Amino acid sequence: MNLKIIPAVLLLALVGCKPASPSSAPRNFTVHGIVMSVATDQRHATIKHDAIPGYMAAMTMNFAARNPEVLNGVSVGDIISFTLVVTETNDWIENAQRLGITNVIGLSGPPGWHVVEPALAVGDTLPDYEFTDENGALVRLADFRGHPVALTFFFTTCPLPDYCPRMNRNFEETRKILALETNAPARWQLLSISFDSNFDTPQRLSSYARVYRGNDPAHWLFLVAATNTLASLAPKLDLSVWQEGGSFSHNLRTVVLNAQGKISRQFDGNDWTPQQLADAIADAAR
Amino acid sequence: MQPAEKTASQPVQSREERLFLLIILVLGSVAGLGFWFAASALNRHDELRGIRPEKPRQLVDFSLTDSTGRQVTRAELQGKVLAVSFLFTGCGTTCPEVSQRMAEIQRLTTNQPDTRLVSLTVDPRTDTPPVLAKWGARYGADPNRWLMLTGNKRVLQQLIGTSFLSTNSGDPFNSMPGNFRGTERIAVVDKYGRVRIYFDGLRMEAAAAVVAEIEDLRTPR
Repeated sequence: MNLKIIPAVLLLALVGCKPASPSSAPRNFTVHGIVMSVATDQRHATIKHDAIPGYMAAMTMNFAARNPEVLNGVSVGDIISFTLVVTETNDWIENAQRLGITNVIGLSGPPGWHVVEPALAVGDTLPDYEFTDENGALVRLADFRGHPVALTFFFTTCPLPDYCPRMNRNFEETRKILALETNAPARWQLLSISFDSNFDTPQRLSSYARVYRGNDPAHWLFLVAATNTLASLAPKLDLSVWQEGGSFSHNLRTVVLNAQGKISRQFDGNDWTPQQLADAIADAAR
Repeated sequence: MQPAEKTASQPVQSREERLFLLIILVLGSVAGLGFWFAASALNRHDELRGIRPEKPRQLVDFSLTDSTGRQVTRAELQGKVLAVSFLFTGCGTTCPEVSQRMAEIQRLTTNQPDTRLVSLTVDPRTDTPPVLAKWGARYGADPNRWLMLTGNKRVLQQLIGTSFLSTNSGDPFNSMPGNFRGTERIAVVDKYGRVRIYFDGLRMEAAAAVVAEIEDLRTPR
């Protein structure tokens, strides 16, 4: 959990360095989030928060409570709203209010992680999941209901050419094929989803995307999944991600969803062609 | 070494003697260090102790497919001494290392008709027979002696979980798919299907240790 906070803190530090607002008046943001941990002295809490428009993307980070009473009665798993006060040099939370409680997988640490969910099969509906895009905006699978979607998983520092880079090269080829095909569906979407939420910030996604996608983002978004999202999503797609040796070992899952969000085709591993994926997307539109 | 000493009673001898002593000292330290390294390397070798199963573990019945597409059941392995490892082909660090150990074990047991190597995948949807054949080729696997098995995920999980490894190592992102503990191990199974001992497959010495154990089990005293 702590590791996850580091990039967030770095990002905050960067944001803090920017002379964004010339006035020194504190800015207040109303934020919603889930409490991941509360320090015993109630002076800090780690909160997985939604995007804060105009300030930062959805992420998990540690916030300070100048007044410990702000965190009275707030415990792990609570869904809260709070005010984030940001000055030029500092930030802290105020007015924390409990809105409810969640039982997000993995929230309570290792025992909660061991949730074995059966993998979904063709014809099953993939539940809605939320991701962060290259601009830090939230994107949901439900946003694409009504047309076919192909999604695959990667991380930007993936060193094996046959793995993530191959998936994204295949996506680019698929995009070219569908753009030229006369009887291709009018609307379709490719999603490359990073599982490395510690490292793959929106900025990194954006520059990585440019390598594969050029300057034309049509039909293709690069997203990053939060760890909790991944904990629920990965087993459903039989996606395996293992943090080992300072990198990730993982398998490859490429999934085509139809207009209703049902799984219409699954490509396992790297032995499939862009033409096969383009055909599967066209099939899913029918 | 001080200029003042040069003018003292034995200026020249003193200098040569010191040089000589220095050389002796340096040589001595080099030899000492070498000895120390050798001794600690030997100690390390001694340290590679096998891990005994925490409870009796027996090879359960199964029916799986090898890298040539052939069906393999437990019956085929009856009466064979086995070295068993765990892998998935998307694995970048642990599995290649352990597979190198397995390749070494295969080489060291070439003329043993009653020895088999078995690698079980934890990602069967990806690791189809052709994918496993490609992995095996990288390590010079002889498909008649080193069986890479895939098949139904539940069968594989049950086989690994019942016969070999404990489950639930906590955070699934910090363990091999399937969430097993000790997936870097190589298990040695006797002719009756009993797991006798495990060795840490990430250690170079594991190959020799496994082979020694196999020798013991092939020729019961």
